Amino acid sequence: MANGYNGKILHVNLSEGKFRVEKPDETFYRKYMGGSALAMYYLLNELGPGIDSLSPDNVLVLALSVLTGTPISGQSRITAAAKSPLTGAVGDSQGGGFFPAELKFSGYDAVVIKGKSKKPVYLWIKDGEYELRDASHLWGKITGEAEAIIKAELEDNKIEVLQVGPAGENGVRFAGIFSMSNRANGRTGMGAVMGSKNLKAVAVRGRKRPAAANKVALNELAKWGAANLEDSDIAGLAKYGTAETTGSNQTSGTLPTYNYNSGVFEQWEAIDGTTMYDTVLRGAPEGNQDRMGRDTCYACTVRCKRVVELTEGPYIVDPHYGGPEYETTSTFGNYCAIDDLPAICKANEICNMYGMDSISCGATIAWAYEAFNEGKLTLEDTDGLDLSWGNADSMVKLTEKIAQRDGFGDILAEGSERAAKKIGRGTEAYLITCKGQEAPAHMPRVKRSLSVIYATNPFGADHQSHEHDPAVEDDLEFYKERLAVLGFSEMQEPRSLGDEKIRFAAVSQRMYSAMDSLNLCQFVFGPAWQLYGPEDMVALVRVVTGWNDVTFDELQKVGERRLNMMRAFNAREGFDRKDDKLPNKVFQPLIGGVSDGWKLDRAEVETAVEKYFEICGWDVSTGIPTRAKLEELDLDWVADQIDL
Amino acid sequence: MKIQLQLYSILREALPSESKGRAVLKLEEGATLADVLKQLGIKRRVVISVNSVLERDHSRQLRDGDEVKIFSSVSGG
Repeated sequence: MANGYNGKILHVNLSEGKFRVEKPDETFYRKYMGGSALAMYYLLNELGPGIDSLSPDNVLVLALSVLTGTPISGQSRITAAAKSPLTGAVGDSQGGGFFPAELKFSGYDAVVIKGKSKKPVYLWIKDGEYELRDASHLWGKITGEAEAIIKAELEDNKIEVLQVGPAGENGVRFAGIFSMSNRANGRTGMGAVMGSKNLKAVAVRGRKRPAAANKVALNELAKWGAANLEDSDIAGLAKYGTAETTGSNQTSGTLPTYNYNSGVFEQWEAIDGTTMYDTVLRGAPEGNQDRMGRDTCYACTVRCKRVVELTEGPYIVDPHYGGPEYETTSTFGNYCAIDDLPAICKANEICNMYGMDSISCGATIAWAYEAFNEGKLTLEDTDGLDLSWGNADSMVKLTEKIAQRDGFGDILAEGSERAAKKIGRGTEAYLITCKGQEAPAHMPRVKRSLSVIYATNPFGADHQSHEHDPAVEDDLEFYKERLAVLGFSEMQEPRSLGDEKIRFAAVSQRMYSAMDSLNLCQFVFGPAWQLYGPEDMVALVRVVTGWNDVTFDELQKVGERRLNMMRAFNAREGFDRKDDKLPNKVFQPLIGGVSDGWKLDRAEVETAVEKYFEICGWDVSTGIPTRAKLEELDLDWVADQIDL
Repeated sequence: MKIQLQLYSILREALPSESKGRAVLKLEEGATLADVLKQLGIKRRVVISVNSVLERDHSRQLRDGDEVKIFSSVSGG
């Protein structure tokens, strides 16, 4: 293998049952690096505009990067991209686990999937060989069962399986793609696309480890991370999980509660990461949760993933399905004013069993809760479920009904925006969507750079597309050297949305975009509090690929290239500045606690979006990339596609 | 004076494990939040609330009976 990558892309036409192996040259890999940028290349070239996202015409790309599978923390991640059935715009989602590394070991850097199989199938790749196998017996199975059957029939327990659950088969518009039955490419409905193709799973196994150009230097970088983890700012996130942030978000007034009407949740301590660690992690009763209640991704020493086990009480939870992240404890918890941690763990288990994005699922349920509490939905609408704020049992039942498209669940399976349109009665007022995707648990009324990113992000509201405001609002001393690499040294006022804050949003977004193209974990690599900083990211690319002249600016260009290709994709679909908007709710004041009365100003956000477009080099009136910008990024072919 | 202290997540390890991060801390009159962090050996960037209100100023002087909560500071999801 040549320095990190296989040099092979597998193309699968499910309609014809045919395969093709493409062997791009080094210039291709250096230009796109992998992951999300590489996926965009194929979506723009192989998917025509205006297609139905759930038809055989959609193209699903599963892509790794030049770094995937190397022995260092934070690299075993995969991009799933296609046209989104939730937003109608570009769909993009990142996931971790052991599957990404194993796909690399099996001999390919990406799989491009077209068409639709006549009957359910799964794709089996082993050491460069590939075949489609019948999956009729797997259709309708939950993730854990399907995974076990595949491993048994292929007689290898070390096979990694990426799959859709019943939700993806049922076309739930926010269905995800799952590996290990608990790692999700959750957002933008990629599971619904995969299910619509009658592709149940991709199973992989391989022995071909990627070679690094400088193995000694790579080992040194990996060792440095392991040695510095305990003293780093992610030590808490590693041990207590992402939900350790619940308390700091509560304190800062940015814990979305009552469907984003408040930024504080009085009972937050019942559902935070510290309580999870003490009570629901596997091994917690005996004090063995560090050993038994944490899990990891390939070669990652951080071990931030949660493993919950509940063997008694109203909610039994199987540890095979992992445990909730902060986003999940928020959407099923504080969004719905629910403080029942076992119930939240159960909802998380259902999402992982059936294969659904827990952000959109929980947030869609929270929309229904607000509509019910405002008298716009009745028991007749909800199949008799009482959706009063705080009702945990109804939340769990509704989660399962959505996965099965049963009754009221069938309406919610369309996502909150389509559900509001169908129900009417003024329920659009309760939406928290951008481009049709439900907002995650970080609040633009508090962290104001999120207002620009949520509004403009090509695949809808997303919290992992830039570095949030606290990095530049508190004492910069902690991250001075890292932020200087991005060109920032001035502390910003809390809740400000001035020029420097907007520039920070745009520049840090490019870095996050580069990380999604290098398929790097955003807890392990990043511009501030993460284990590794921007210069480490450059060093990693150099030592793995041997591209010793790679610079941070070049990686930023890769990130910018991805964003421009995404905006161009959306332009082909008819999206422009009119679609770069926030839900009305964020212009209304928050209620209660430290953030009481805080709201966004429409004119200020509009101005900020214009400034952001200017920084990006996009047409300020349309938000579409200019030919000059695309040519600067060596994307002339994209400019030709959108008739610039 | 005495303050009520609650540490969360990894910061709990500044106190004996059986305390679960809770302690009553004896401080000199005029002691500040920075003094508390120093006494606990906490060098990480943190988010602090005093009597349930966010406090960014670590030079703030504490009063007898204050309730101080300290969290680690990351923006993860």
